[in-house]
Amino acid sequence: MENSATLATTLLVVLLFAGGVYALAVLEYWSVAGRLAWTRPVRLALKLLAREEIKPRQRDAVFYETAPVLLLAAGTLAAAVLPWSASAPLLSLATGALFVNAAFAYVMVALVLGGWSSNGAYAMIGGWRFLGQLLAYSMPMVMALTATVMRAESMVPVQIVLSQRGLWNIIYQPVGFGLFYLAALALAFLPPFDLPVAAGELAGGAWADFTGARRLVLRLGRLSLVMSLAVTITVFYLGGWQGSGLPGVVWTLLKTLLVAASFFGVGRYVSRVRYDLMLEWSWKYATPAALLNILWVGILLLL
Amino acid sequence: MANDSHYLLLLGMLTCTGVFAGLLYLVKFSLGPPVAEPGKDVPAESGRLAVEPAWVRYHVHYYGFALLFLCFDMEMAFMYPWAVVYKKLGITALLDMGVFLLILFLGLVYTWNQGGLKRQ
Repeated sequence: MENSATLATTLLVVLLFAGGVYALAVLEYWSVAGRLAWTRPVRLALKLLAREEIKPRQRDAVFYETAPVLLLAAGTLAAAVLPWSASAPLLSLATGALFVNAAFAYVMVALVLGGWSSNGAYAMIGGWRFLGQLLAYSMPMVMALTATVMRAESMVPVQIVLSQRGLWNIIYQPVGFGLFYLAALALAFLPPFDLPVAAGELAGGAWADFTGARRLVLRLGRLSLVMSLAVTITVFYLGGWQGSGLPGVVWTLLKTLLVAASFFGVGRYVSRVRYDLMLEWSWKYATPAALLNILWVGILLLL
Repeated sequence: MANDSHYLLLLGMLTCTGVFAGLLYLVKFSLGPPVAEPGKDVPAESGRLAVEPAWVRYHVHYYGFALLFLCFDMEMAFMYPWAVVYKKLGITALLDMGVFLLILFLGLVYTWNQGGLKRQ
């Protein structure tokens, strides 16, 4: 009995996640071209599969194979601990919030490995740039998450959603939300922060020498990462499945897609940020703001 | 669910991800090898093979930030358990962590003052 329920939950979460990733692929193109092309992700995938797969000659074979799969795994692992509804947490880890962070840390490893493995200078610089970004986004992100844990008195994501019953965290701790949102953009190397892999930079940066199926896995990994981050924001700041009228799962999906669409929308109107400026701003303003956010939440909780 | 079945599920997810990527590679592989042409497999570098490998010493200009990051990351390890019990301990927890954070924060301010928050 319990096994079949677990299986049903797993299937539901996997289906929702996969459907969400597909919708994100459509949304990403919409943010660039301004129209919804529903079959484009399929056509693009087929095109990448049909294209010649050229591998750089003096590559580091082990890292070259690891990087794409690791990026995909980092995106999907985080999704495992995030609840879609009160009855559908795939995994209810006692260290959920920490686990989400740990899973996202592998994104940096995947990009640095990808940059290193192809033995090209541009790709490597792309990888190092992402490492620089990590130094900038990581602290505000972790500190913002800590403040949500403080309010819930638990690291279990379900508890964090339940702690937002009266008031969503986006209103309770708006500074934390803003920091987490920006950090999420940087973590998924989305447009304002896409310096490490942008097509117009370094001939494609860390991804420059990946073609064919490996490129396809990298792109899927990025999309699943964006999806996971959108779910994370929904769960930690937008009250998760809470809402009236519709079933919880639908609310989570709606909020997630809205967050993801806003991710892509932001990238369209903001110009690219240099990583050294990002580092400077992060340590001068974002990290102190994150500390103040913790203080703010701490005082609110004691009142 | 028992506690260890959580980790089995995570392992299963990792395996499924790997198998999925492997299947894509298999489809690609079944479509045949690329045409071998000279100069095609050069990494993206203006079409010429660089004289030296790219794996040379690289000056990571943000090492100062990396040191700062290390300090703050260590402190984060304490903050997770602290955040869980924060409400229970009340004002004591706020003061304890406040002093700890203040010392770190002073370090940040000192770094800023010394021009450490500029690209080296």
